[in-house]
Amino acid sequence: MIKYTLHIIILLLLASCTKKPKKLFTILQAKDSGIHFNNTLKDTLGQNILDYLYYYNGGGVAIGDINNDKLPDIYFTSNQQQNKLYLNKGNLKFEDITATANVDSSSDWNTGVAMADVNGDGLLDIYICAVTGTNGLVGQNELFINNGDLTFTEQALAYGLDIDNYSSSASFFDYDLDGDLDMYLLNHAIHTEESFGKANFRNKRNYQSGDKLFRNDNNKFIDVSEIAGIYGSASGYGLGLAISDFNNDGYPDIYVSNDFHEDDYYYLNNGDGTFIESLKMHFGHTSKFSMGNDAADINNDGFTDLITLDMLPEEEKVLKSSVGDGNIQIQNLRTKQYGYQHQYARNMVQINQEASHFTETAFLSSIAATDWSWSALIADYNQDTKQDVFIANGIPKRPNDLDYIKYISNSQVKKKIETTNLIDKKALSYMPDGKLKNIFFQGNEDLKFENTSDTWVKQNATYSNGSAYADLDNDGDLDVVTNNINAPASIYINNTNATKNYIQLKFNYFQKNSFGIGTKVILYQNNNIQYKELFTQRGFQSSSQPLIHFGLDTIQKIDSIKVIWPNKTFQILKEIPVNQTLIVSVNTKEKELSYTFLHSKNDSIFYKIKDNLGIQYTHSENNYIDSNRHKLIPYQISDRGPAVAVGDLNNDGKEDVFFGNGKHTKSEIYLQSESGFIKLEDSIFKNKATKEEGSATIADFDNDNKNDLFIGSGGGEFFGKSAALQNNLFSITSDGIKEFEIPEGYEDTAIVKHFDFDLDGDQDVFIGNATLPNDFGNIPESYILENKKDVFVKRTLGNIGMVRDVSVTDFNSDKKPDLILVGEWMSPIFLQNNNGDFVDVSENYLSKPLNGLWRAIIPFDIDKDGDLDYLLGNWGTNTKFTATQDYPLLMYYSDFDNNGKTETIIAIEKKEKYYPIENLDELSSQLISLTKKKFTTYKSFAGLPINKVFDDAILSKAKVFKVHTLASGILKNENGQFVFEAFQNQLQVAPINCFTKMKIGENETVLCAGNYFGIKPYHGRFDGFSGALILDQNNIKLGSVVGLDFFNKAVSQLRTITINNNRYLIALINNDDVQIYQIK
Amino acid sequence: MFKYIKLNNVFIAIFGCIVLQGCTSKKDPIIVTSNDFYSTIDMVTQIMVHDIFSPPVASRIYVYPNIAAFEILSQNSTAYKPLAGQLKDLKAIPKADDEAVNLNVSALVAHMELSKELVFSEDKVIQFRDSIYDLWIDQNKVEFKASETYGLKVANHIKEWMNKDNYSQTRTMPKYTIETEDPSRWQPTPPAYMDGIEPHWKKIRNMVLDSASQFKPIPPPKFSMKKDSDFYKELIEVYTVNQDITKRGDDSEEIEIAQFWDCNPYVSVTRGHLMFATKKITPGAHWIGITKIACKKNDFNFEEAVYTYTKTSIGIFEAFISCWDEKYRSNLIRPETLINQFIDEKWMPILQTPPFPEYTSGHSVVSGSASTILTSIFGDNFIFIDDTETAYGLPLRIFTSFNNAADEAAISRLYGGIHYRAAIDEGLKQGRKLGAFVIEKINMKH
Repeated sequence: MIKYTLHIIILLLLASCTKKPKKLFTILQAKDSGIHFNNTLKDTLGQNILDYLYYYNGGGVAIGDINNDKLPDIYFTSNQQQNKLYLNKGNLKFEDITATANVDSSSDWNTGVAMADVNGDGLLDIYICAVTGTNGLVGQNELFINNGDLTFTEQALAYGLDIDNYSSSASFFDYDLDGDLDMYLLNHAIHTEESFGKANFRNKRNYQSGDKLFRNDNNKFIDVSEIAGIYGSASGYGLGLAISDFNNDGYPDIYVSNDFHEDDYYYLNNGDGTFIESLKMHFGHTSKFSMGNDAADINNDGFTDLITLDMLPEEEKVLKSSVGDGNIQIQNLRTKQYGYQHQYARNMVQINQEASHFTETAFLSSIAATDWSWSALIADYNQDTKQDVFIANGIPKRPNDLDYIKYISNSQVKKKIETTNLIDKKALSYMPDGKLKNIFFQGNEDLKFENTSDTWVKQNATYSNGSAYADLDNDGDLDVVTNNINAPASIYINNTNATKNYIQLKFNYFQKNSFGIGTKVILYQNNNIQYKELFTQRGFQSSSQPLIHFGLDTIQKIDSIKVIWPNKTFQILKEIPVNQTLIVSVNTKEKELSYTFLHSKNDSIFYKIKDNLGIQYTHSENNYIDSNRHKLIPYQISDRGPAVAVGDLNNDGKEDVFFGNGKHTKSEIYLQSESGFIKLEDSIFKNKATKEEGSATIADFDNDNKNDLFIGSGGGEFFGKSAALQNNLFSITSDGIKEFEIPEGYEDTAIVKHFDFDLDGDQDVFIGNATLPNDFGNIPESYILENKKDVFVKRTLGNIGMVRDVSVTDFNSDKKPDLILVGEWMSPIFLQNNNGDFVDVSENYLSKPLNGLWRAIIPFDIDKDGDLDYLLGNWGTNTKFTATQDYPLLMYYSDFDNNGKTETIIAIEKKEKYYPIENLDELSSQLISLTKKKFTTYKSFAGLPINKVFDDAILSKAKVFKVHTLASGILKNENGQFVFEAFQNQLQVAPINCFTKMKIGENETVLCAGNYFGIKPYHGRFDGFSGALILDQNNIKLGSVVGLDFFNKAVSQLRTITINNNRYLIALINNDDVQIYQIK
Repeated sequence: MFKYIKLNNVFIAIFGCIVLQGCTSKKDPIIVTSNDFYSTIDMVTQIMVHDIFSPPVASRIYVYPNIAAFEILSQNSTAYKPLAGQLKDLKAIPKADDEAVNLNVSALVAHMELSKELVFSEDKVIQFRDSIYDLWIDQNKVEFKASETYGLKVANHIKEWMNKDNYSQTRTMPKYTIETEDPSRWQPTPPAYMDGIEPHWKKIRNMVLDSASQFKPIPPPKFSMKKDSDFYKELIEVYTVNQDITKRGDDSEEIEIAQFWDCNPYVSVTRGHLMFATKKITPGAHWIGITKIACKKNDFNFEEAVYTYTKTSIGIFEAFISCWDEKYRSNLIRPETLINQFIDEKWMPILQTPPFPEYTSGHSVVSGSASTILTSIFGDNFIFIDDTETAYGLPLRIFTSFNNAADEAAISRLYGGIHYRAAIDEGLKQGRKLGAFVIEKINMKH
């Protein structure tokens, strides 16, 4: 006993001695490095946050080896004070050589900085941006040409780059592939418009604010913006600039992040010296207050992805006291009436889907909210082969603090503005401080990131703006430098050193672009690739060291490296030893590369039929917004249509199609003829145009050997015993469409499905209801209409849940059809058919409740083991909602304020506490009597968990709904029990709304589709899912690869139909045209 | 050292008690003056500015406390007649049965209690109330306690009546739905693009009017962008009048008039990411201010002041219901939206467009109603200096009569670039008819 104890003590002692792990980064102190640079801001008349909206944007950092001694040197810009150039003396010692090098700026206000070999002499020059011509600021952008002797000469005028406007950043790269470096100059506007103005305002050019593209003609830079198709208007609030060959055609493209209401710009290079702005074609939504950005391949597919930064806080205290998202109606006004793109105030992670479109995954990737963020740098900091992300953030004063805006500014600021035009310190002091710790996200598998800042570095909070990476100490890993306001620059020294392997590449390219800007590198290892491009302008107002760096973890030898030069020639390096810096030189005899190898092979299975076989159907929603009536409803319930049914309606042996429609738009039947489809005209649908059909099914219900049409109606708009809610049964006869009488039902019907439950030979109907309109949270009854020859009789299944879909299968193998119901805020329910009585046997099949926001179910043997599994469509995990078994998503349902009207309140977990998802103003829009008196400031509300916002007495009377998982996935049949397995993340980016089975070749497959827009702005918009063809669990092809045009469309139903022995896919899209594809 | 101070304190406290005790035996009744009433109203106005209430809601916050005070004062009065039985669903208040009750004190107690209920920042009312209570307790504790008890009783009686006016139901009714397909329909306006406020205000229970639509104005000129249509002419008038005034500069009388009558409780200003608000009183509050000026000029006593405020605030309250009924019926688009769309993309009105439909002008209806009621009390040709807005940095203006002031308030909306002429002319008519009806219908004096 004593012996053991001793051992334990010794072990503990050993542990405490050895357990002093060095963090991944160490902050280098100014006294050790000699870098004392500090971007000190002093408010003056004309230079303060009131007079200059970008007063807190800070300075930039440029890193590069100016004297070719293999030690990268650092240049910092200061807004008001002296810029600094530090010469790297080795061993992380730096010397301020600004004065002797003659590189301080003569401009009053500097912003971004770039290092590039502008004149093609093999030496890095320095280009500095300035804001001039406003607020009394004078100066110009300056070009310091490197003399090669540690001195520089300013020659902007000679090169045509002596621009005097509102510049924020510049990037040198070769857009026309003529061998020399051209330049994109990013400018910002200085006035915010009070009114939106039409988006096409961007066609008007403005010298001061408009971005500019310069072509290098023998070291003379010519402004070619207008002929090149570059916007240059007074609404260009350009803060972020990323250059990358996004579409892999060999020509560099441009992404510009614009602040405020102006859209970001996505310029695709046409290869003929012009660009075409294509944002709306390729992006479903973007950041709103877009700041810095970075472009790099995050998911190792050889296509550059993109991160753009914004200002959404994660911390509840800050989040709930800051201005929130705009409301849905105003967003619609902005997009529909004024022509802007969908924009939301948060970071975006845009995953490039092989150049067809971008799928935005910031919530799924956990990078959505990093507060007031300026610079993003994507790199493999821990060298584990997965890309990590560094984010520099912080702002000296938070001008979007709600208490400040609503209660303090009135008295404090107003008079100052009116009288002295100078805001005094006291008035400013009421604005909360926004000092923040910079953030490191460690990249994990499958698009996931984890905030590892605390484990990676011990650091103080700062206001950090520009940032750049470099290998400052030549130890192989990447260090990071930030430019801070009112504090010394932060230098993060990476301690990975020899613990993980790496390789660095530098280039000797043709003389005019000696550093090889635009070179691409693909590293191949065990069938995996890593892909990088050499563009140095990254993050925000900054340029990083011109090198390519790959983390290699424990890899000892690299299979091969393909270097693709800017002129499209390439070379392959084989069996490269790790942990070295390769200098690769271009060879004039190299072959040109065909870029198509980077794109997937043409895997098209679906071919869009141009004339839709004569079907002219469009689903249209009326302008009803659920949250105008139920202000706290978590999502829309009135936009799940349309209904569709395929079957032979006129008894000619050919399949016809019924399409339901939204309110005020009539349903349509298309009859199949020899040459295509012909619309059946009948007045009965006109009379029922008010209805919103949710689901339909075709079968012979009256046993006359002719098919009939059963339609379930619902939606969120009608309530009470509205005739629009009543389901219908129609028969098509030679004298037109006739209606049968069926039992009354006034629920929001989501799914109708015919089957013969009592095995008596006729067709009964399952009616699955989702909501009771105007009372979201109250559970409707679902039922079976039993066919008793000439009459339907209602057989209730009870108030079972918010049912969205049903699967009719014989899950207990007793030859009687059983039901599995799925729906929102409920677990899949297994209803066993006991000779016509349905018994809930879920407990026998699921070990614990698995509540989801389920939308669809389909039986499918995904693991090919001979038993039936089920695929389930859920909300997806790319959302502000959070749900786990331990911390489910919660929804409280009650008449909280006792005014005779129920409401729902959603709470999400953060650090083991539940918070209302809505802010004070949103809660007050429905529950004013419970909130506005209790919280007379935003500060008093912000940071409070739900049980402090509402009293126990109020919460405890509510019914609580839960969601345990938001992931779509598989209910896997394991010896009769079902175990849930989530799909991979590419299927979690949006809700999956529907499935359909089809045979592709010899394989039984399932096609799924989704996307959904009926959500509040805090989620953004679920638009990035292009559908997926599921062959088996490990073989899933995204829709964009197999020919489906589902990106940015809310696909709600999929059906297949056979016409003349050809198979077709019918895709129903909410509020859009039907799509028809031939399946080949 | 500490001990000495403590001893001294105790001594002073005891001494204080003795002095107070000595006074109670021959206590005089508490005197409540009209000035006490004015400062109570001013306090409520300031809280409303802080809490940010829209103009219709502000009118409700004034009216119920005034009625409570008036009902208390008029119960045994030879001069005044209670409103119970005259205002919809208002039943007679419980009578004061304790002889110690001072009705004036109870009236102010009830007033403050209801005000506290109606605003958000209760703490500010409590702070104000307690400072008065402390004085009254000093003056005559017994009388105060009895009066407080009674005042609260009446406040509860009025609360019960008030709580059935549909206010809480309208809080959760649907938001205004924006329809951009119909070009004549109102849309949110720059810079804040706020939702249309109080789309269901017509459902608030009327007090005097038969219904919200009793004084329904004629419809506005038919929407048309044809150059020779009446509507288009009025639109162009707003544009040209504003261009003309702007040319003449900030010192032009029209700009002064526009700004003087702005009465926008929340004007949001955006400079980059920096946002702030300039907050002022509402149109109703401005007329409550004029009411004070008139009462003071005539040296009204407490009862007279309460009577005047009550009648005026009923007129204002009804005016908002009537006006809002029409606003969301005609749902007319603001000049700013149309001018930006069709005439001048960069045009901004001199005043910030408030967030609700255009027709009729709220300030015109309210000014018409309030001025008519005030004229009935003080007579026409009542000259006064209006200093209501000096606290908000605006100058004084002199008016020869209430009607004169109302005319100017109405036309200020054209100068401000936020209303067409029809909304002003018809709004004034609507308000004046409504005011006359209130005067005729309710009988507050014996």
